[in-house]
Amino acid sequence: MDADEARDRMQEIQRIMERATLFTLLPGTAAVAGGLLVLAGCAASYAMFRSLDFADMLGISLGAQAAFCVMWFAIGVLGVLLEAVLTTRAAKRLGLVAPDRPARLAALSLTPSVAVAMVLTVKFLIPLEPRPEEVQYIVPVWMMLYGTGVYTAGLFSIRAPRVLGVAFILMGIVALLFFPGYGVVSAALSFGLLHVVFGLYVVHKQRQIAAP
Amino acid sequence: MSEPIKPDDIDAVIHERVRLAIVAALAVSPQLSFNELKEMLGLTDGNLSAHSRTLDEAGYIVVEKAFQGRRPHTTMRLTLKGRKAFQRYLETLRQIVDRGDQAMNDSS
Repeated sequence: MDADEARDRMQEIQRIMERATLFTLLPGTAAVAGGLLVLAGCAASYAMFRSLDFADMLGISLGAQAAFCVMWFAIGVLGVLLEAVLTTRAAKRLGLVAPDRPARLAALSLTPSVAVAMVLTVKFLIPLEPRPEEVQYIVPVWMMLYGTGVYTAGLFSIRAPRVLGVAFILMGIVALLFFPGYGVVSAALSFGLLHVVFGLYVVHKQRQIAAP
Repeated sequence: MSEPIKPDDIDAVIHERVRLAIVAALAVSPQLSFNELKEMLGLTDGNLSAHSRTLDEAGYIVVEKAFQGRRPHTTMRLTLKGRKAFQRYLETLRQIVDRGDQAMNDSS
């Protein structure tokens, strides 16, 4: 074996170990917790403006609108923090080195689509008189772009995240084309329920693997 | 001058690409199911069965077969012997790379 072949082998080994590590550390419990947070956020949103249409938040007071935005921002930040903390804890529990490169790959895959979703959200909300039909696009746009990011992140892991990504994209398309006026329901079904189901599936699979 | 690396220094059981992939995946997981390994490495049932049997016979992995309800559930994990063999193999690869780099530096 020459040095080039040995180098190729080492890179191949590294790729396989990263993929296996990503699977072991898939944060199932974080997905469940994040999904439950979103469901609570959807319930709170409904309580705020008594409608299933996110565009109806334009009819509430400016203070309530600010509280609405802060609440969803906090849910997003909390979701990311939960994922980071629980993944690190899982790595420690299994005695694995912190998965720097896989985590970075997953973050890099998600960042562009999340950034685009944030820009579009600002574009839809910033005008002095936001148009309700544009505000209705926010949830489907987030579903499709988040799904794209998860799908791309899943390219470095096993099939399950890719399936989740495709499910988000498909649900986003349906929400955009047929149910734009039911953003609260779309968010609850996708970011809420779908995350819970995915998280439970991952936890179940990991328990199967860990069972003696 | 350091000893040249002889063909016998390379563990033939681990050197085969599929078996190396199985061992590498198990090196960072407590254990993996047959289906997860198959999916992760893009292998067929037959391919994974044959290579895991070789690793099992060499004492590098433990294959455990059980039933979940009526469905068979096979899991695999790396043994201490397998982990040491993997570490030795990685060390051999590093030595080959280092020597290649050194030879290139000497010639330039």
